[in-house]
Amino acid sequence: MDLSRRGFLSGSLKGGVVATAGAGLLREHPAAAETTEERTGEYAETLDVTFTVNGAPSSISVDADTDALEVIRERLGLTGSKRSCGHGSCGACTVRVDGAPTASCLLPATALQGRAVTTIEGIGEGISGGIHPMQRAFMVNDALQCGFCTPGFVVEATAFMDAWRAENGTERPDRDTIAAAMAGHLCRCGAYEAIYAAIAQACMGAFDEAPAPGTFTGRADALEKVTGRARYTVDVRLEGQLEGRVLRATHAHGVLQSLDLSAASAMPGVRAVVALVEPGRKIRFAGQELAAVAATTRAEADAALDAITVQIDPLPPVLGMDAARADDAPAVFAERSTKRTVHNASEGPNMPAPWKGNVRGPLNTSMMGKPAGAERTIAASHTVISQTWTTHVQCHTALEPHAAVAHWTGEKTLEVHLSTQGCNWVADDIAQRWGLRLTDLTLHAPYVGGGFGAKATLQQEAVIAIDLAREAGAPVRVALDRDEELTVGGLRPATEIELTVGLDRDGRLRAMQAVSHSDGGAAIGGAIGALLRLMYVCDHKDFIDYDVITTAPLGRPFRAPGGPSAQFALEQTADIAAERLHIDPIALRRKWDPNPQRRRLYDWAEALPIWQDRATHAAADRGRFRRGVGLAAGGWFTLHEAGTQVQLEVGPDGLIATSACQDMGNGSRTVVSWTVAEAFGLSPDAVEVRFGNSQWVHGCLSGGSRTTGSIGPAAADAAGKLQEALALSLAEARGLGEAIPTPEGLHHSGGLISWAEALSEARAQGERITVVGRRGRDPGGYLLPVALAGIKVGKDFPGTLMLSHVEVDARLGRIRVLEAWMGVGAGRIVVPPLARSQVQGGIIQGISFALYEDRRLDPHTGRTLTAGLEDYRIAGIGDVPPINVHFDEAGFEGVLGRAAGLAEAATVPAAGCIANAVHHATGWRPTALPLRPDVVLGGLS
Amino acid sequence: MITFPQTVEAATRASGTFRAGATDLQERRHLKMNGGPLVDLRDLSGADAITVTPSGGLRVGALVRVRDLAADARIRGSYPGLAAAAGGLGTPQIRARGTVGGNLLQDVRCWYYRRRPVEGQRCLRAGGGLCLARAGDHIRHACFDLGPCVTPHPSTLAMALLAMGAGVEVAAPDGWQIRTIPELLGDGTDPTRAHALGPGELLTAVVLPTPVVGERSAYLRAISRAHAEWPLVETLARLLVVEGRVVHAALALGGVAVRPIAVSAEPLLGQPASAAAFAALGEAAIADASPLPMTGYKVPLVAATIAAALEQAAEAPAALALPESAE
Repeated sequence: MDLSRRGFLSGSLKGGVVATAGAGLLREHPAAAETTEERTGEYAETLDVTFTVNGAPSSISVDADTDALEVIRERLGLTGSKRSCGHGSCGACTVRVDGAPTASCLLPATALQGRAVTTIEGIGEGISGGIHPMQRAFMVNDALQCGFCTPGFVVEATAFMDAWRAENGTERPDRDTIAAAMAGHLCRCGAYEAIYAAIAQACMGAFDEAPAPGTFTGRADALEKVTGRARYTVDVRLEGQLEGRVLRATHAHGVLQSLDLSAASAMPGVRAVVALVEPGRKIRFAGQELAAVAATTRAEADAALDAITVQIDPLPPVLGMDAARADDAPAVFAERSTKRTVHNASEGPNMPAPWKGNVRGPLNTSMMGKPAGAERTIAASHTVISQTWTTHVQCHTALEPHAAVAHWTGEKTLEVHLSTQGCNWVADDIAQRWGLRLTDLTLHAPYVGGGFGAKATLQQEAVIAIDLAREAGAPVRVALDRDEELTVGGLRPATEIELTVGLDRDGRLRAMQAVSHSDGGAAIGGAIGALLRLMYVCDHKDFIDYDVITTAPLGRPFRAPGGPSAQFALEQTADIAAERLHIDPIALRRKWDPNPQRRRLYDWAEALPIWQDRATHAAADRGRFRRGVGLAAGGWFTLHEAGTQVQLEVGPDGLIATSACQDMGNGSRTVVSWTVAEAFGLSPDAVEVRFGNSQWVHGCLSGGSRTTGSIGPAAADAAGKLQEALALSLAEARGLGEAIPTPEGLHHSGGLISWAEALSEARAQGERITVVGRRGRDPGGYLLPVALAGIKVGKDFPGTLMLSHVEVDARLGRIRVLEAWMGVGAGRIVVPPLARSQVQGGIIQGISFALYEDRRLDPHTGRTLTAGLEDYRIAGIGDVPPINVHFDEAGFEGVLGRAAGLAEAATVPAAGCIANAVHHATGWRPTALPLRPDVVLGGLS
Repeated sequence: MITFPQTVEAATRASGTFRAGATDLQERRHLKMNGGPLVDLRDLSGADAITVTPSGGLRVGALVRVRDLAADARIRGSYPGLAAAAGGLGTPQIRARGTVGGNLLQDVRCWYYRRRPVEGQRCLRAGGGLCLARAGDHIRHACFDLGPCVTPHPSTLAMALLAMGAGVEVAAPDGWQIRTIPELLGDGTDPTRAHALGPGELLTAVVLPTPVVGERSAYLRAISRAHAEWPLVETLARLLVVEGRVVHAALALGGVAVRPIAVSAEPLLGQPASAAAFAALGEAAIADASPLPMTGYKVPLVAATIAAALEQAAEAPAALALPESAE
């Protein structure tokens, strides 16, 4: 090692900071000490970079390693560009540099010298209305959901459009061309279908002019999202805000001996240090939080983390179900007392169950059936199908990481900005944990960059930010890096499902039996049996669940917890049954399936050309590219949160709907604006929806497919109440004898006053009328007499039916979905364009789960290896086929508002559907996910 | 500390890590895998052009962006396989920013190596004593175990240029040299080095030989998604077929070893340009495979990728002579 280099100081610097003569601060990473010359310290030397941003000249002092995104977001305050993956995979940070779309997280700030930078904030500059045609195209096509990836997509798409127009005029670009151009972008919500349409239409000139009045202009928060104005938690900058960073275990299993924070506390810029595990406690996964630091800058906080000395007595890691079930496996939860603290990965309460070693169970979900006869009946069945199916972990991977900004505004008053799906729920938990009155605590979640179940509860990033902020006496932000997000950000547990069914000679289902094991790491709560039970009827069902506890990162509820795994097993079992008994797969399901939604969808599917001609859509030969058509059914529950409220106010500022509810991309704001607008005969744009503040009237959790069914009726109730109030007020003001509210308007002896007119009059008179709407009871009653954790379970069950046409490259092992269809029976569709987006997103997440996603842990340390978006692969735009969505809106008469949620039902069948199509194409029956190329090649050989 | 040399000579005399497009280096700096002075090539002149060489090939400056290599009409016409390989790597943004030189010299993507180093868990490349991938999860790693490190070489262009028989120009404080791709990269046995350039040596250009007029070629990348994924296996296959028989062929493999591997096309020479002959070459190519416990699947995948690439090449447009009027 060359010690003579200018500015370099050697020494045993375990993360220490040493002042150098002229070069500011230098920090030596522990790993650098005896490695190559390149791995030396970090120089803090600044230089000025001069460039323009959105036309305005800018001169910023940077150091050699500052990236352009840092300058744009932190120094210039242009937070529309997002930091999400940190290595150029997701494109959320895309800006144009001299016109060229560029991943600014990988661009050294010094490269900006003399350049012209255009960010999402400036993309519409100089265009009439300030909105770029591509931004309009994204809005009108609903080519966005949570909106976090949207600025990056839009910026890249404007560059593509410029290049396309220059070369091809207003010709339509095809899907492959668009996919290749957008290959550097990822959208976890799965808005890709609409993105294809938006880009193609914008290139064709369809949005060069503003759309005609009265046409759909996009979801309620579309404008904020396509312009980069939407402020997510990671964009929050408070005065004096510190950066919080977390020290994590790098080994899966052990006992903490000591944690020395003293050196870290003395580091420059450090304002708070907190321990998160007490000595003597066990470490149960690599990535577990040990301690946290708040400092003025991220670099200072990271340096302080390096100065913390940790001693852990290692224990052998317990990774994978087989290792955990082995006779000599070390117990992950050895003491009775700790078992009560185990993390619950499910949405439901913990049911009591015995433990044996690392296996918790049996949990029998057969309380409503007749399990005893299952085994006997199966033994006596004409046909028995028995198979073990395995499914893998799926990481939630929202593009906005878990993030919190905590600010103690007084001894007992707290403000928290949080990327959460449960503004009120988490506020309750925070109030309880820190002993605060709810009125003294405000939780803000105006925009949430995706959640999918992983952000539903109070989690470590918030706990740490709040504790650090308390300690530091200043606001603290904790935002996870992508590697942290892919480790502790949540995951769908892996499963092993032994499913046996017995059929009579006609294919009727006589008995079902399943033993399921779930591995959600050092967590419990796997529940496959309840999902298997949901679908089909037979006399005997016997479903037993076990949790297998391992030293791996914790499971969390993920969009339809247990559903995709259960249906991978069940829908392939149905396919096998149909094949064995030579019965058409739909005809067979008709024998099994009483669900009225799906029974109507079977009619729809039978009429589809792809189904009728499926034999011809299968590849005739056994050559390289083999094609097949698959089908799978799915379903979910009808849930609503009883306490959900919407406040509606008409006043000087217009018509404003308010709720503590949050919109994580699922479209709840728009459900409210459409519902209110419909009641008043207005355009949805006339209703402003304010979401995401825990002080506002109670909003439901965004999760469990409960949101639309909760917030929609509450909004409708609010609209009705406002109409009554308007009727009274108007009758008095105009001296009308009797005024009766009707859907058309206010009927009175002299005629009809439309609601729009009534609203304008109230506003003109300076009135302010405020009402609060509540989610009422379902007229048809409930499945269970009581609410479970505030949730009521309806008597109707949404159903879905998915078909897919796939192609298997038998040589290279790649599976491509060529086209997909999904029928959805979830009652009334409140906002059709958004519901379509939601369904497509569910299918895309299902395709991604089945084919690409593969979380991998180091077998020796349990560290997450797939800790970035290059290695943890989620579906990109090129992997998304045309997806046809069919809504069957019948039924659900007993449900208030007649609308059930559909987010979960839409993702449940995808993996099973693709597997059935693969079998149709190749004759090979996939029993384990994911269907990686090596798995496919192994299966075909 | 950072310097911005304007000439090659100044660059070779500067001390520090060279930075070109930074699409690789920026992340490593962020992860503290690399530190110390930087020699940023932003202001270097004369290294971003593609020009015709006296011997009738092309000289591609090291700072030519990968996108521009893929889009260059002469490359597309006369070296279409190389253009396809350049257009198939990374993402459009990586190609627009990344340079030819940077792509060749980039560091590896092994999931044990490419992260903030942790005490006690350092791999061979990070100065540790053990290849953690070899001992751990290596499902995406080598099936030709040329050790000690088993991570695949990350550069698609290195693989493609190996198949093209290209050379590289290296500037040093004391002069210039032409080297081969294997000389540039080393044999992979020193796991602490991503390449074999010495101190002060700067890769300034890639030199392509005279195009083989009439040659047909294809680039094939075996991945699970449609785009933007590090290859499980990749190959560039070149074929010259005269009267139905293969008279010249060259192939290289990427994604399978710690360095790109040249595949001997000897068995194909004189053979009919048939699927059977292509498949036979694929089989011959895996004779020396030495898979790790988890990469056995890559061995048949290598054979299949070679056969499929040759079939695709046989149907591809023929390479043209470089235009006379070229500069």
